[in-house]
Amino acid sequence: MKKELRFGFVLMALILSAVVIFMPWGHLTNGHLGLLMLSLVVVTIMLGFPTAFTLMGMGIVFAWLAYRSVNPEIAVQQTLDLMVQRTYGVMTNDVLIAIPLFVFMGYLVERANLIEKLFKTLHLSLARVPGALAVATLVTCAIFATATGIVGAVVTLMGLLAMPAMLRAGYDVKLTAGCITAGGCLGILIPPSVLLIVYGATAGVSVVKLYAGAFFPGLMLAGLYIGYVIIVAKLKPHLAPPLPLAEREIPLPDFLKTISQSISMKALPGLLGALNPKRKFAIPIGIVSRQLFIALLPALLWFGGMGLVYKSITKVTVVDDISGLVEMGFDSQSSAVALDSAEGGLQEPTVAGGIQEPPGAGGLQEPPAAAGVQEPPATEVTTETHKESDAVTAEAAPQKKDAPNSYWITLVVGSVILALYYGYLFTIARLQLFKMLLGSFFPLAVMILAVLGSIVFGLATPSEAAAIGAMGGFVLAAAYMQLNSRVVKESVFLTAKTSAMVCWLFVGSGIFSAAFALLGGQALIEHWVLSLNMTPVQFMLLSQSIIFILGWPLEWTEIIVIFMPIFIPLLSHFNIDPLFFGLMVALNLQTAFLSPPVAMAAFYLKGVAPPHVTLNQIFAGMLPFMGIQVLAMALLYAWPAIGMWLPQLLYK
Amino acid sequence: MQKLLFFVDRVSTFAGKFFAWSIVGLTFLISWEVFSRYVLNEPHAWVLDAQIMLYGALFMMAGAYTLAHGGHVRGDVLYGFFEPRTQATIDLVLYLLFFMPGIFALAYAGWGFANESLAIRENTFSPEPLPLYPFKFIIPLAAFFLLLQGMVEILRCIICLKQGSWPSRIPDVEEVDVEQLKEMVHVKDEDIASLDKYVLKQEAKS
Repeated sequence: MKKELRFGFVLMALILSAVVIFMPWGHLTNGHLGLLMLSLVVVTIMLGFPTAFTLMGMGIVFAWLAYRSVNPEIAVQQTLDLMVQRTYGVMTNDVLIAIPLFVFMGYLVERANLIEKLFKTLHLSLARVPGALAVATLVTCAIFATATGIVGAVVTLMGLLAMPAMLRAGYDVKLTAGCITAGGCLGILIPPSVLLIVYGATAGVSVVKLYAGAFFPGLMLAGLYIGYVIIVAKLKPHLAPPLPLAEREIPLPDFLKTISQSISMKALPGLLGALNPKRKFAIPIGIVSRQLFIALLPALLWFGGMGLVYKSITKVTVVDDISGLVEMGFDSQSSAVALDSAEGGLQEPTVAGGIQEPPGAGGLQEPPAAAGVQEPPATEVTTETHKESDAVTAEAAPQKKDAPNSYWITLVVGSVILALYYGYLFTIARLQLFKMLLGSFFPLAVMILAVLGSIVFGLATPSEAAAIGAMGGFVLAAAYMQLNSRVVKESVFLTAKTSAMVCWLFVGSGIFSAAFALLGGQALIEHWVLSLNMTPVQFMLLSQSIIFILGWPLEWTEIIVIFMPIFIPLLSHFNIDPLFFGLMVALNLQTAFLSPPVAMAAFYLKGVAPPHVTLNQIFAGMLPFMGIQVLAMALLYAWPAIGMWLPQLLYK
Repeated sequence: MQKLLFFVDRVSTFAGKFFAWSIVGLTFLISWEVFSRYVLNEPHAWVLDAQIMLYGALFMMAGAYTLAHGGHVRGDVLYGFFEPRTQATIDLVLYLLFFMPGIFALAYAGWGFANESLAIRENTFSPEPLPLYPFKFIIPLAAFFLLLQGMVEILRCIICLKQGSWPSRIPDVEEVDVEQLKEMVHVKDEDIASLDKYVLKQEAKS
């Protein structure tokens, strides 16, 4: 018998024998039926029937059993009602809407085909770092996986792009495989990820907070990967040899080459010199001045940004407005219902923010003004607010605030650094690199940060941000000349299939978990867990190791929709925040993608690797990265602030 | 026989693909609403309901389409290693035991649910109401397509039991289409094969 089959059968036999041994067969209660159902469903899922329908079928049978034990006459009708209500609940779930939109955005971005440019650019810009290619691979993976969220596509693409480059440069096969597979899975954790939406919808945790919380743990994990690769490259250079000089050279277009050879290596003097009409160059002024504009972009951004900051800190009212906006946006997160009744419901929080913030913002506000705001009758809140806020502006304007010293210090230091950079380091080659980054890295980074930022700072709900992100995907695909009817069609159809897969799972699990609750399986588990008298640490260890073990036979979607409803109610007994638990689960499920024998990432990589790269080599390469994931979980548990700091700061 | 299977596949695929386009509608609707709310300061109460409907119809109607192309997530720890006949046996039993009763119940219950809504001409609960009953008819409709597709899948299991291999399906876009990805990043099979020498060199060293 094949080794994989034996592994699976042993696992199934273990579960079934545990059920047979521990069931009190003489006096079965409904709760025991629930546990029986749970173990049966795990075994049936392992057999390989589509999970959504397994859950649905099992749920119906057991829901009927549960209703029958109360009143056999109406049991069938009750079961049918339960089923249709649960299904309708999934169809009208305002958290899950974001899933098809993010998936759609991912497919569009994937097909915009900028991964090749991205990898090349990053590899050139990181050339001096030890293990440059591996680091570039990880960074490319992290960015691309975050934007697309499709593990299979990212691993395959990086297997096609990065693997040849790394092998040619003499990198170790295992290290290469590990970087690509581990990097490709980062999109599972770093928001905007579908996993966090699925967890949020199942556990009833705000997706916004989950996104804010998962941001730094995701960066931390990527950072740990990169740190590991750099250390390996330093300690064992034969595993990750430095790039030969020829590979580090940045390819320059001809006219830039002429400039750097005949005028100056530095970008600014070179370009300015080329503009000088006395030197007769065959380069059109238009091209040169465009280069000059690009070269000056960082300076323009710096001064423009600092100018905006100056404006906002010297004007009191601006600060008020922002606080009001955040408050309003946040309120719309917590109850999405408020969104459609935007006329009245949404503006009230603004008023509240407007009143409460000014005294805190520096005591500049006159108390009478604040009191005045509270006066108007509730019915005319909207109109009165505008008047009052005008009044506030008028009040505040004369007391224009001076910028604090720290602002001027930052401005001067930043400008000096900028000047030094332009004077000494900004060569023509760097200008070319900067242009390449502008063409690949920045569009993606800006898009991700815009989507995430608008969610996290409460400017948009996740579904709104996802829709804007999908629009961004359209724009990106168009900008890279990839927007054609084939790309759109394929993205649309793939989105439908992926959304159907995830959301039908919710339909099935909705019925299933309702049956489980009806049977009282939850109460039984709760009773049992509490009787163990565990400390929170022990409980966390136990639950995470159960999830870790389940990660072998099951997919992350199944684990979350089936098992989270069981774990979440237990959390309050141990004073564990469901948000924090979610971050731990998200980190934990990363390992499921990298653990043999069912690690998807490994098989995708094997599909595009040279024939002599074996699966065992790929698995061996993934092991250190799995170790890092466990380390990351330990770090997050030891310092919850890594994840909790941002959500606590933003949503007190 | 094969013709009949393909015909039903095509029907499910068509229905799924038709509703799949609502993702484009959803994208533009929400983007426009965000623009209208934040820039024009003109929010619309009906947009949230319309969003929900587009999303609900999208994934429900794609259920049969996804089934027709084997896209529903399976526990893959054992299934992939079974012989086709073993796979077909498991599938056949579970289609009859779980799938058919479950989806039939959904179709039946959904029909009643939607008709109740139709009887009172139910609207969304909003200052700018939209009719809700067409949306509720999505449940029996999606379940009907799934039933149809489920029957075809059962036939496929029987054929597979008889001939020992799975009958073919109509081709469709795949999430990870390796050939297409290779083309996208300009990598050819020879390039990959030529890398083997580096792997062999490493093996020789160790």
